[in-house]
Amino acid sequence: MNTTRRSLLKGVGGVLTLPLLESLSFAAPSDAEVPIRFLVVGNPFGAHPEHFFPTDFGKDFTISPTLQSLDWLKDRMTVISHTDHGMVSGHGREISFLSGVLPTDAQAFPEKNMSIDQLFARHVGSQVRYSSVGAALEAGIRMSWTANGVEKLPITDPQKLFNHLFLNLSPEQKSVRRDMLDRNGSILDTVGSQFSGLLNNSSKTDRDRIDQFQTSIRELEHSLADRKTWLDRDKPSFDISGHFAESEMTIANRYDAIFDMIAYAFETGLTRVASIEFPSELKYTDIDGVNRSYHGCTHNGKADDTVAELVAIESFQVSRLSRCLKKLDSIKEPNSDGTMLDHTIVLFGSGMGYGGTHSNRNLPIMVAGGGFKHGGHVDARDTSGKNMPLCNLYVALMQRFGIERDKFNTSTGRFDLQHG
Amino acid sequence: MTHCSKCHSGPKPKGDFDLRSLETDPGNDSAELWETSLDYVKAEEMPPAKQSRLSKSDRQRLIRFLEEKLRFHSRLTTRSKRIKPRRLNNREFENSVRDVLLIEDVGTHQPTDNLIGDALHEGFDTHGDTLGFSKFHLEQYIDAVRRIVDATILSGDQPRSHRYEIDGDEIFAAHTSQNTKRPERRGKSDGFDFLDPKQLAYFEEFKTAPQTGWYRISIRCTGKDRGRYDSNETGVYDDDPIRMTIRLGNRERTFDLPDEEVMEIKLNEWVAAGSRLRMQHPTDGLRMRSNGNFKFQNAIAGQYLKEHDPPLYAKVVANMKSPKSRNARRPESWQNWVKYWQGPRPRVFSAVVEGPFYESWPPRRQVALLGSNPDADNAAAILKPIAERAWRREIRSEELDQVVRLVQSRADQLGDVEALKEGIVAILTSPPFILLNTEDVTSTDRFATKFNYFLKSTIPDTGLREAVANGRLNSFDGVREEVKRVINQSEGKPFLRAFPFAWLKLNDINFMAPDPDYYHHYHRKRVSEDMVDEALHFFSHAINENIPVTEFLSADYSFINADLAKVYGVADVPDDSILRKYTFTDGRRGGLLGMAAFLTITADSLGTSPIHRAVYVMENFLGIHPSPPPPDVKIAEPDVRAAKTIKEVLEAHKADKTCASCHEAIDPFGYAFENFDPMGAWRDNYSTRLSRPAATAKGRSKEKPQGIPIDASSSFRNGTHYRDITEFRKLMLTEANRDRFVRCFITKLLTYANGVEPDNFPEVEKIVRTSAAHEYRIVDTIAAVIDSPLFREE
Repeated sequence: MNTTRRSLLKGVGGVLTLPLLESLSFAAPSDAEVPIRFLVVGNPFGAHPEHFFPTDFGKDFTISPTLQSLDWLKDRMTVISHTDHGMVSGHGREISFLSGVLPTDAQAFPEKNMSIDQLFARHVGSQVRYSSVGAALEAGIRMSWTANGVEKLPITDPQKLFNHLFLNLSPEQKSVRRDMLDRNGSILDTVGSQFSGLLNNSSKTDRDRIDQFQTSIRELEHSLADRKTWLDRDKPSFDISGHFAESEMTIANRYDAIFDMIAYAFETGLTRVASIEFPSELKYTDIDGVNRSYHGCTHNGKADDTVAELVAIESFQVSRLSRCLKKLDSIKEPNSDGTMLDHTIVLFGSGMGYGGTHSNRNLPIMVAGGGFKHGGHVDARDTSGKNMPLCNLYVALMQRFGIERDKFNTSTGRFDLQHG
Repeated sequence: MTHCSKCHSGPKPKGDFDLRSLETDPGNDSAELWETSLDYVKAEEMPPAKQSRLSKSDRQRLIRFLEEKLRFHSRLTTRSKRIKPRRLNNREFENSVRDVLLIEDVGTHQPTDNLIGDALHEGFDTHGDTLGFSKFHLEQYIDAVRRIVDATILSGDQPRSHRYEIDGDEIFAAHTSQNTKRPERRGKSDGFDFLDPKQLAYFEEFKTAPQTGWYRISIRCTGKDRGRYDSNETGVYDDDPIRMTIRLGNRERTFDLPDEEVMEIKLNEWVAAGSRLRMQHPTDGLRMRSNGNFKFQNAIAGQYLKEHDPPLYAKVVANMKSPKSRNARRPESWQNWVKYWQGPRPRVFSAVVEGPFYESWPPRRQVALLGSNPDADNAAAILKPIAERAWRREIRSEELDQVVRLVQSRADQLGDVEALKEGIVAILTSPPFILLNTEDVTSTDRFATKFNYFLKSTIPDTGLREAVANGRLNSFDGVREEVKRVINQSEGKPFLRAFPFAWLKLNDINFMAPDPDYYHHYHRKRVSEDMVDEALHFFSHAINENIPVTEFLSADYSFINADLAKVYGVADVPDDSILRKYTFTDGRRGGLLGMAAFLTITADSLGTSPIHRAVYVMENFLGIHPSPPPPDVKIAEPDVRAAKTIKEVLEAHKADKTCASCHEAIDPFGYAFENFDPMGAWRDNYSTRLSRPAATAKGRSKEKPQGIPIDASSSFRNGTHYRDITEFRKLMLTEANRDRFVRCFITKLLTYANGVEPDNFPEVEKIVRTSAAHEYRIVDTIAAVIDSPLFREE
């Protein structure tokens, strides 16, 4: 009886996929608008404040030593001083970087300690093949959390990231997935048939919530159809060989491989949300001038040479990001005036202020790209001198991402970062 | 009325209220204004004392006039009492699926963790407009139900059972930090000790349940070294038993362990495949020394040895690196004493895990659902009782046809049992299950369903449906008997938690937690949990004893433990975490008005705000909704560093006439609480620590100069003045305020039950009168709400 509805849907799906075959885009069929993306890069120990924060405020600020590699982007970035999540000092609280909420306090929030990247991922949903991608070397820093307070682990090996993003499923794997999509499709058909009793008896006032349900069924059917299309369609191919050809496998070219894969995944519409983490366990010693462990460098006793090592590690993180942003900025965004960077919200920072003092106040935060009217170096304190909740920034990012909400976890307002 | 128009007219009417907005009679838009006017006149707050020349009899006449107009309005408007359908919230969804499938819980494998969190409206998770619905919700429902059904109905061959014997050195502490490269700590042959309450221990041989089924778990364990260290240092009370929690996925079983004596814990549990078996030491102690990590606790071991075993202490110190060495540590440093830790802790000697077992194959729970002959050809008969439970009504003819067709179309490919599971998934994701209170159900089914979701947050059982059908719940007395029965058999636990949680907005307690640098105890002992428990305990007490609702305000007692005693400045309570009834003799505490939960929820992290507290009292206790400040008003932000008190800041604010008229109504409800600091502790003076720069405050100097004394006095608009909280508490018991409180409580109950605030003033008044006729007894009041046409929707 419902065959008509279902076949109609299939028909629609078919029509929508046609133009896709002509373009190189691997994005969802249903999406005609210019996409907005999100890239976040985080570390577990914050940054040495004197080297991270510029000494002057305003648009014409002087670029700081740690951010030196981003000098070319100076008028399209915002460095924010005096913003944090109001956490006490100590390790372990940096995991609230993207949510403002510790797992132990998560029950107080409807979306638990969901991180902002996962909020974005949920918003994008099945419009893209991967709602989000997380990557790191060796280990993660626990910055991505889903709405259920479950940690989302990053892929910690470039080869695995490559397989995940660009390697096609085996025919058997495809058939298992297709089978489950089919089964869920039939469930939806059946569920959709259970409205007759409701609708016969419902008055106008009841209708809107029933309509909401019916709309959800239709939308989910579309989304399952999209996913089937993903399944049948090959992933874009990416040439990874160049990254592993070098005689020496430095962390620099391993991170460059990760960043390049993410940039390409953005470009080909595989995903719109990515997070890249710089863990504490990684050996940073192949960076020039670094001999100690990352954590060791943060406890430098203010010794100049150790501080220099720490700043070298932090500058290294920023420079890998800078290289990626240059790449994004070199690609023109289809159907728009700007570059891909202008349509990618970039966030660099940490949930820890500075490891040396174990402070979780005044977090090092930098926003770039995203087509914002950037403000250079901004002091976020309010008139009484209180630091701004970092979630206020996330409200601004969220709205730029197309989510019409004015609150996110511990936000008390919206950081003034306009788009356009 | 000319009385009123002096202020409430013209271009800038006082309180932003123009008499003309009342029109000549209450209309759909103005009824609320009429209700507010009536409330203010009753409480003698309008006209205000300064201007009042209204005689007693004139006031009574005005009250009668307003009441009659309101009654007339509600008779005129034949607005339907029908409430719109809403979706189940996640709590209700989980309970309902559980009861449809006749299982103990939805499973140990966290099958509903993927559900999108419910947003709250004024604390309520039953609010229809706020409970959204989207394709994400629907997809997660399908996923969750699949997972639950998969762990209930098993197809294929019966898995074989295994026996795992685990010795102390086969128990490991799972990584708690990010450093996953360091090897995990392993127990010794004489047992595994829990050194850190964050630590989760697991059995090397049995990390997760390999198959779904029954498992027998026996664990030999004991409690070690209770009371050896000073409880002020560890934060663990000497009179609290050492406990151990066994976690099977998300199912928890907690046991009190005997001291230094072997106990054998025996469990028999249905465990879903993939669920992890973990053990933990549950305590709110052993946290937050220094910057908060457990490791700093180890310094206590050093202090202890220094005092109790000086030779050993000296030996350890002597073996330390020479002080000249670059990495030398101070002797008292925690790193030196990790090995010597003898804090209160559980020890596990050994364990045996055996399973999976089945009382029959297919398992009994499966037979209970599908019968002994799960044939897709019988799908209609098999699925009908399941659908009847799920949809909370009789199944109409042909209604299941689509579901049966789905099962039969899948049977060839998937097999009979798997195909029937598809049918169950469809039933449990269909609108008649997900949507409550749709219009197509009969009035008896609707009432049975509402009654059960109100008290038990789940589907009604056949007994209740029959009782309703037989008319046993048609009267106030019938409803009251059933409510009493539900409570006596402790089936009403969902209500006893969810309702006060929502009403008192307990969810917000850590939204603006007291600042950790200044309110150490709050964070160190997770006192917010005790505060929430206190409020819930008081509510359960009220229900169990059927006390008058008004006692929430008038009580001079509450339920406290040692952690709360520290906040309340009370000394004569036992040294443990159990909540016990405590009577306060100072007139400041007892009941809701003295509870730390309320005082903390309404405070900022460093300071307190009389406005926040006043608005909370007005909205949640008195049912008054003060209007928010006009958007163009400039509000001076409180500055904790300034030497001004909040009262001085507010007085300055009130110098502005537009602000004054509202604040005269609001502020008196908040000033009385100024003697309570951000975590609800008593103070006579404002702290001076905050007025100094943070750097010196951090130095924790001992000297405590006297801060500015607190002035907690104020006057209401009707002229009554109070000096402090003790006088304020008495004023809250006047007839007008008592009425307000009861009406507010009833409104909150209706909001919880209906998922929308009631807007029918005379019907709410009728419930108030029924409540009054029963001495405001809380169970009788609840029964009056359920018996009301507003609940019955008739």
